[in-house]
Amino acid sequence: MSDSEEYASGSLMEDEEEEEQESASDQEKDFGLDNSVTVSKKPAYRILKGETLEERRKQALEEVTGVLGITEEDAARLLRRFKWDVTRVHEEWFSNYDAVRASVGLQDEAPVPSTSQATCMICFESYPTDQMYSASCRHLFCHDCWQGYTSTAIADGPACLDLRCPDPKCTACVPTSIIKRTAPPEALAKYQSFCVRSFVEDNRSLVWCVGRGCECAVECCVDRTADEALDVICSSCGATFCFNCKEEAHRPVSCEWVRKWAIKNSAESENVHWIIANTKPCPRCSRPIEKNQGCMHMTCSQCRFEFCWLCQGDWKEHGDRTGGFFNCNRYDAAKRKGDYDEETRKRDNAKQSLERYMHYFERWDAHQKARNKAKADQARISADWLERLSEQTKTPSSQLKFIMDAWSQIIECRRVLSWTYTYGYYALEDMDHKASSTKEGNSSAEENQRFFFEFLQADAERSLERLHEAAEVQLKKVMENNSTAQGNGAPLDLDSFMAFRTHLIGLTDVTRGYFEKLVRQLEKGFEDLERDFGGGSAEEAALIETTL
Amino acid sequence: MATARQRLLKEYKEATKQKQDTGIALIPDETNLFAWRARLQAPKDTPYEGGSFELAITVPEQYPLVPPSVRFRTKVFHPNMHFKTGEVCLDILKTAWSPAWTLHSVCQAIMALLSDPAADSPLNCDAGNLLRAGDMRGYNCMARMYTIEYAMQ
Ligand SMILES: [Zn+2]
Ligand SMILES: [Zn+2]
Ligand SMILES: [Zn+2]
Ligand SMILES: [Zn+2]
Ligand SMILES: [Zn+2]
Ligand SMILES: [Zn+2]
Repeated sequence: MSDSEEYASGSLMEDEEEEEQESASDQEKDFGLDNSVTVSKKPAYRILKGETLEERRKQALEEVTGVLGITEEDAARLLRRFKWDVTRVHEEWFSNYDAVRASVGLQDEAPVPSTSQATCMICFESYPTDQMYSASCRHLFCHDCWQGYTSTAIADGPACLDLRCPDPKCTACVPTSIIKRTAPPEALAKYQSFCVRSFVEDNRSLVWCVGRGCECAVECCVDRTADEALDVICSSCGATFCFNCKEEAHRPVSCEWVRKWAIKNSAESENVHWIIANTKPCPRCSRPIEKNQGCMHMTCSQCRFEFCWLCQGDWKEHGDRTGGFFNCNRYDAAKRKGDYDEETRKRDNAKQSLERYMHYFERWDAHQKARNKAKADQARISADWLERLSEQTKTPSSQLKFIMDAWSQIIECRRVLSWTYTYGYYALEDMDHKASSTKEGNSSAEENQRFFFEFLQADAERSLERLHEAAEVQLKKVMENNSTAQGNGAPLDLDSFMAFRTHLIGLTDVTRGYFEKLVRQLEKGFEDLERDFGGGSAEEAALIETTL
Repeated sequence: MATARQRLLKEYKEATKQKQDTGIALIPDETNLFAWRARLQAPKDTPYEGGSFELAITVPEQYPLVPPSVRFRTKVFHPNMHFKTGEVCLDILKTAWSPAWTLHSVCQAIMALLSDPAADSPLNCDAGNLLRAGDMRGYNCMARMYTIEYAMQ
């Protein structure tokens, strides 16, 4: 299926190509099952492992030492000054020789002093000059004072890479030889690690992977405007994060909204967190129920009532045929349009904005939690079940990768879905306020925008709930059947396992398609929503039914 | 590295030689070499002229690798000095510190700051605003008034 390939590399796409694809899918109106074949994509980013980084760093140094005929140490000074941009170093060096050299503290060697004794200008003791060191400026200091100077600078952080002569009027850079001679071993190790890390930290197109203990860096290979988001997946440790703001990957929301959302959440947390406990009473028998499964479909262990975790409504009303699933996503502003008098309305405003925030936060938070749960489940299934399943089904474990793929998709979808609530909170802000403060409410265009947003979201969500249930509940059933079968010595029901396999792979692909469509639409903004999705939504829904 | 104490003893010897001509008198506390007092005779051609300003200098144990902290004990109206706490905003007392600076050269830098105030990043906003607005008359007048009131007996 081509759409699976497309989504996997969706974040790797260059803007142009993405647009090309969108226009293709617009024409086809193919309900997320994008059939267009993608042509050679230039990746938006690349993951660089430790060895590659070191190679690239050495290569940059060699280019500069080769062309400028300077030492590696001085080349490193220039490269740090110009953010590891080799071309820029060459240009600046040849057009601004004196200024560039001065800016990094390179000076011609001053004449060697003729005296045999000199006073160290830090401790004011007199020493034989052959026991003192200096930078190219010949400002002599004793060994002990240099040691204090270099180790203090290293302890202060990476700025020590640009350390200058202790003489207040002098700007000569301190040569690495002095640091090597005077800094204690731990400090020297730290200094050397700053040297290496500078290649990433001072480099405009590189950032470290945020994964714990991961030593990879990410290189951005496309032009990015300032503060432009770029979702990144580390191929080495699996961490997902935004190249620009280093937060959790957050398509389709902008870095700015993510920052605002985080501040909002910490500011409101006292209000909100006590309300959102980790348990909810069963809507029928009131027994407190802890959310144990990752999906929103809850079953009370006492009365077997099936309900939706988010709205606590009967799960039957979320049935696909009734088309009622997304009702639980609906922020129902309509009930506030009722005949409140001014007084009541004012009094309610504060409460309403908290309620509005809670609506979005609760859903954002529920998906975040479900995502963490899914991560844990994936790890558990991988550790406990895969090997056993491989034995029982006589399938090599490589053939069981589809289970892990399904879980990876669930994790990613939960993340995207949670951010759509942040998106909704900010993008629908004006609309929601208008709806609650005026009797007229929103124009039909605005209502349509909301409708399409919620339609897309619900569509994706429905597909995800289905995938989650298959990967969780149905997989468990398959496992249980298999263990009973083995217990009885009866042959394995391989047919039903293969049917499950096909089913799960299909669901994973379809879900991936829905989410890619959702993300791309939201990134385009609301103005385009209606144009692209106007009409045909009922037929779409019907078609989706048959696809699944 | 000579200890802070050794270095301070050297500075003490040096200070006793210098005090007459520079307008800077530096004396350590009788019982504590790490607490110093400085008396500055304000530079000529400034609104502070004729004033005598006292500084309290606290020297940390890692001195001279880290800078001393300096506070005005005499009230002074100056954009880079806090009117109430006497705190001084001077780069060499923070990031631009070098162990080759001494207590005496710090005092010299403060003298230079009295002659040549920096209007940006003010600790005293009133003084800073007067300077930034180019109101030299207003600034001189205020500085002079406080000098007469607090720094001249
Ligand atoms: Zn020394
Ligand atoms: Zn020097
Ligand atoms: Zn990583
Ligand atoms: Zn970001
Ligand atoms: Zn119940
Ligand atoms: Zn619901």
